[in-house]
Amino acid sequence: MDITFQNIMPQPLASMQHGDESIWGNHVVLKHGHKIMLNASSGKGKSTFTSVVFGLRKDFEGKLLYDQTDTAKFTPADWTEIRKIKISVVFQDLQLFPTLTVKENLFLKNELCNVFSENELIQMLEALEIDNKWEQKCGLLSMGQQQRVAIIRALCQPFEWLILDEPFSHLDIENTRKSLKLINERCNNLNAGFVLTSLGDRHEFNYDDEIKL
Amino acid sequence: MLKKLLFRNQDIKQLVIAVIGSCLGITFLITSIHYLIKVNEFGEGADILGPNTLIVQKEVSNSSTLNFAKTDFSPAEIAILKKEPFILDVKPVISNNFDVSFETADPLVPRFRSDVFIQTVDPKFLDVKSNKWHWKMGDTVVPIILPRDFLVMLNTFMSASGIPQISDDLAKDIRFRFTLSNDTQKEWIDAKIIGFTNEVPSILVPESFMEFGNKKYGIAADQKITQLMISGKESEFGLVEDMVKSRHLESKNSQIVVGRLKSMVGTLIIVVLGISIIAVFVSCLVLIQYAQLLMSRNAYEVRTLLRIGYAPKQIIRTFFIYFILIFGFVSVIGLAMFLVSKYYLDKMFEEGGLYLGKDFTFYSIAALLFAYVLFGIASFFNAKKGIYKQF
Repeated sequence: MDITFQNIMPQPLASMQHGDESIWGNHVVLKHGHKIMLNASSGKGKSTFTSVVFGLRKDFEGKLLYDQTDTAKFTPADWTEIRKIKISVVFQDLQLFPTLTVKENLFLKNELCNVFSENELIQMLEALEIDNKWEQKCGLLSMGQQQRVAIIRALCQPFEWLILDEPFSHLDIENTRKSLKLINERCNNLNAGFVLTSLGDRHEFNYDDEIKL
Repeated sequence: MLKKLLFRNQDIKQLVIAVIGSCLGITFLITSIHYLIKVNEFGEGADILGPNTLIVQKEVSNSSTLNFAKTDFSPAEIAILKKEPFILDVKPVISNNFDVSFETADPLVPRFRSDVFIQTVDPKFLDVKSNKWHWKMGDTVVPIILPRDFLVMLNTFMSASGIPQISDDLAKDIRFRFTLSNDTQKEWIDAKIIGFTNEVPSILVPESFMEFGNKKYGIAADQKITQLMISGKESEFGLVEDMVKSRHLESKNSQIVVGRLKSMVGTLIIVVLGISIIAVFVSCLVLIQYAQLLMSRNAYEVRTLLRIGYAPKQIIRTFFIYFILIFGFVSVIGLAMFLVSKYYLDKMFEEGGLYLGKDFTFYSIAALLFAYVLFGIASFFNAKKGIYKQF
């Protein structure tokens, strides 16, 4: 699924100056299966990008197209389907359930499409070195640990695009590398693409495209 | 998992208060509807005269005895009565204007004969099926409604003759006969009892039979209307009673007492019913408000669930089922409390001389189902609104 930004200008960013290469106010196509880096400094609209792509905000001019379909016509049922099987997101504020354990947070997402077994989920936690947190409440984990749980939760569904909104901001280089490896493997398995927003760090990865804000 | 997430943030104290309020409201609602119906049904079927019906006549005074005051009703007087807003209908009671005697005509029953007084009333005042209550020229049997006192008298006679007494049902199978006569002619016509009355002192016959008798054997040209049959509106029987007093009319006391009692108890129960409806409405509102509070406390959870791919319908269903189960529990407890109160109230009414019967009324259970459905609909739309707000 290609995602096309057709002269999109979110209201909060309308008063700002955006260059010719910016995704805002220009025609930009995110090609299916591409690994994309979205690099921008704070306040340029990285989280706004996530919200627009994911249908969380509609206060923009222009058109957002999934393949050739205008998302303005989508019903809540359409968006639910998109969020369930087409696009997955790691939110900047993670949006985990702090009173539930890591296991419950992952199960809650996984049981929607029944993608992984319990063992597979534990293996993913092992890969990111937080398998010992399986029965711990998310609210008691460090931010870095929570980020890793949120990344794994985002992988627990079929998707064509994975949107990662500053997912490694609390991770060290080693954990970032492991996380990105896990993400890349999952995307390759699904023939999916991802958009990784960052404050400038490329995380030593070869991206297909780079877009700017 | 979804339930664990969405219902952990509960204010149990508030929920318990809402549930207790709803249980009480439902109990009052079922109880008041049940007894309102029971009180209205009270007395129905015991008499063949319709409910809330009175037979009135003018009070007989010394002046009327001396012919200074009229005891009959003029058409104008009847018209005035009809105009009263609490009166449904007024019809004259027509009496025989010829000689009639009534006797047993059954070989199994000893002969009993008596001169009688027969009357007819409009069939709409009678609680009897029209196919039984008709007579036309040529018919050999006249249907009659017998005063119960007459049957008592007949049984006294039977007893004195050493014959077993007869029940209401058995009396309906005995053949009777009228003898209609005047100075020049005489005729016999068989009669069959189709019902009994406590309120009318004479034998009731169909209008067509009375017209036939009065025409063929009548001895006076103009017949005076000395009795009227009045039907009053439900729960306004007090006004009928006032009117009877103010117009110097008289009626059999028991009719007024029952009417007044039903009217009074009915009014009281309507007040309780009104309060119950308000109580149910308010307690349902409290439950709905509780659901709103729960959804707003879980706004983050609901929003996040929607973002990770949960369908709004699935979350709505979770809230809807939860509150439907709570109201189901409320309904069952309310019904149980009604059964307990019914047991004691029935006893209390019986001790007070009001035998209302121990069966259940359809409408009280229907009211419970109606309240349940209404709450279900309100819960569904409440949940829908709350969830889509977070989408």
